[in-house]
Amino acid sequence: MENIIEVKGIRKVYRVGNEKVIALENIDLSIGKGEICCLLGTSGSGKSTLLNLMAGLEKPTRGEIIIKNTHVEKLDEKRLVLFRQKYIGFVFQSYNLLPNLTAMENVGLPLAFKGIPRWIRDKKSKQMLSSVGLKSHSNRKPSQMSGGQQQRVGIARAFVGNPEIVFADEPTGNLDSKTTVEVMDLITGIARKNNQTLIIVTHDTNIAGYADKIIHILDGNIEKVEFKTPSLIK
Amino acid sequence: MRSFDIISMGLKNLFRRKTRTILTVLGVVIGTAAIVVMVSLGIGMNENFEEQLKQMGNLNIINVTKYRNSPDNTGGPPKEIVLDSIAISKISAIKGIRGVTPVVEGNMKLVSGKYMAYVSVMGIDARTIENFDYPVEQGRLLQEGDTDKILVGGNIPQYFYNPKTRYGMMGPNSKPPVDVLTDKLEVTFDMSYGEKRRQEGIGGSETSEKPPKLYKVKGVGLLSVTNDWQKDGYIFMDYNYLQKLMKDNAKSQNGKQDNYWGMPSTDTSKGFERLMVMVDNMKDVDRVQKEIDEMGYGTNSLADMRKPMQKQAQTIQLVLGGIGAISLLISALGITNTMIMSIYERTREIGVMKVLGCKMNNIRQLFLLEAGVIGFFGGCVGVLLSYLASLVLNTVGRNIMNSGDGGMVGMGMGMGMGMNSGGSKISVIPPWLALLSIVFAILIGIVSGFSPARRAMKLSALEAIKSE
Repeated sequence: MENIIEVKGIRKVYRVGNEKVIALENIDLSIGKGEICCLLGTSGSGKSTLLNLMAGLEKPTRGEIIIKNTHVEKLDEKRLVLFRQKYIGFVFQSYNLLPNLTAMENVGLPLAFKGIPRWIRDKKSKQMLSSVGLKSHSNRKPSQMSGGQQQRVGIARAFVGNPEIVFADEPTGNLDSKTTVEVMDLITGIARKNNQTLIIVTHDTNIAGYADKIIHILDGNIEKVEFKTPSLIK
Repeated sequence: MRSFDIISMGLKNLFRRKTRTILTVLGVVIGTAAIVVMVSLGIGMNENFEEQLKQMGNLNIINVTKYRNSPDNTGGPPKEIVLDSIAISKISAIKGIRGVTPVVEGNMKLVSGKYMAYVSVMGIDARTIENFDYPVEQGRLLQEGDTDKILVGGNIPQYFYNPKTRYGMMGPNSKPPVDVLTDKLEVTFDMSYGEKRRQEGIGGSETSEKPPKLYKVKGVGLLSVTNDWQKDGYIFMDYNYLQKLMKDNAKSQNGKQDNYWGMPSTDTSKGFERLMVMVDNMKDVDRVQKEIDEMGYGTNSLADMRKPMQKQAQTIQLVLGGIGAISLLISALGITNTMIMSIYERTREIGVMKVLGCKMNNIRQLFLLEAGVIGFFGGCVGVLLSYLASLVLNTVGRNIMNSGDGGMVGMGMGMGMGMNSGGSKISVIPPWLALLSIVFAILIGIVSGFSPARRAMKLSALEAIKSE
């Protein structure tokens, strides 16, 4: 299987005052196209840092991150933006919908950033919203929706541009267990249907159960890699 | 991102915080209004000056006299210079001149049957009169070869009165009793012609006086009213003919010159009394005047008066504008503050936008747009407010000024001009000022928004989404 993401020899050191804190040490991993991968670890393990590095939100101290044959760590901010526009979708823990935009406008946001005209955006956003079961909510503001509904809008927004990779940082962290199941079913369902690569960061082992591959992270190192459903990995 | 999307997003953001936006806009409104009103006062003052100057005569005309003050202005009697036809041709050669004419002036009585009028008379070279901007309402200008023809100033028809009746001149709106173009006209240098001779009984010697000499003239043209007293109150004749009449009159009256006021010397052997030079473009007046001055002739023009007036007006305008500028500066700080606050509030949003693939430029544009829109609205409302303030100033202020005799003029100029203060308007907002101030307000907004916008652009996406 073709690897869509390759991480080689990554080290990330933060400076806190005069002290150096090593967040990640010598990480090597690869994620295949269409794979659903989970970064599992306790808080402070460095899993979120790893996600941020892969998404190009942070620069590694050392090492290489290659996504779609592009060295992400070498891109400047302008190219990173274009790169994210093209290949990457994002789901946040706290939804991060823009409060003054309606659900439909929020979903259309990544398309707007790409310069796609409004009527096309609205059409795609509506389709996306109905596929997450929020067809009737398209004109609501985030404040008029529950957490689960907001996260569905967030998921619709992440997938609307049909990106090859979607990062989800604790997507269910703010949701109750029932909604968690719904949201996880939804997000993995869409990713599998479109053969999109999904990378989920979580501390919840139940969530990890949805993944093909679970990467256990402990104190900045990869503890072990677990393949949940080997049948899917060719 | 499409510009339409940026605009709609920016407007939505502004509407989200209505109170804050309105307050910031209000700051710009006050700043713009302050600057516009202040500048409008300066412009109004300038216009009043111009209006007054226009009443005093044509701004394009330079008078050349044969008296020249000593060049270093150390006093002493002015030197006399001969102004002859050589001088005329020398002056005519200067670039930018439309016409040169010798001028002689005097006072006359214009008689038509039982009606008469006191008039000033000006002798002008009929060949060049067309170059001096005399606006003909009826008939024509003087032409070469016109001898006993006169051109009549716009107000003259109103001057006729009947000395036999007790009533004074006609009211300005009543139909004049004489048609200067068709009725028979005569002129005389005898100012007491047709009046009751009051002195008759007292002196006795006066009765032996020869009857005053009347010269037949024909009106060929009537000028329209210009508000320039040097046109409206005069009749115009060919220079040579007037000169001849004056000589003839002097001869016939022999040493009784004291009866005739305002008669200049009729001796032309020493050249002309005065030349009038018409300059094509008002901008050239200074240069031409200087050139004539350097030839050694004495000159004066309204431009002499105009310059210090303009300078004064400029100074006042600058001071007023400065006061306005300060308030606009404060409103600029208000915009910057609002935008910075807005960034703090929206740090997270900006981060999310960046993560979702919003270009850095778009973020900057968004913030600049918001700041510019604040400036735009502030500018528009500010200009409206200024028009209102200007209206109030003009209606309320005029009454005060008229009672205060001279008002603005007295304040700035201290000119002892015996004319009404003109002061039709205190505050004038020309369209260019309105437009310019709106553009300026937008510009102020964008400049104030520049550093916040930069800040927003530089925000680290990660830091932004982390902040909870």
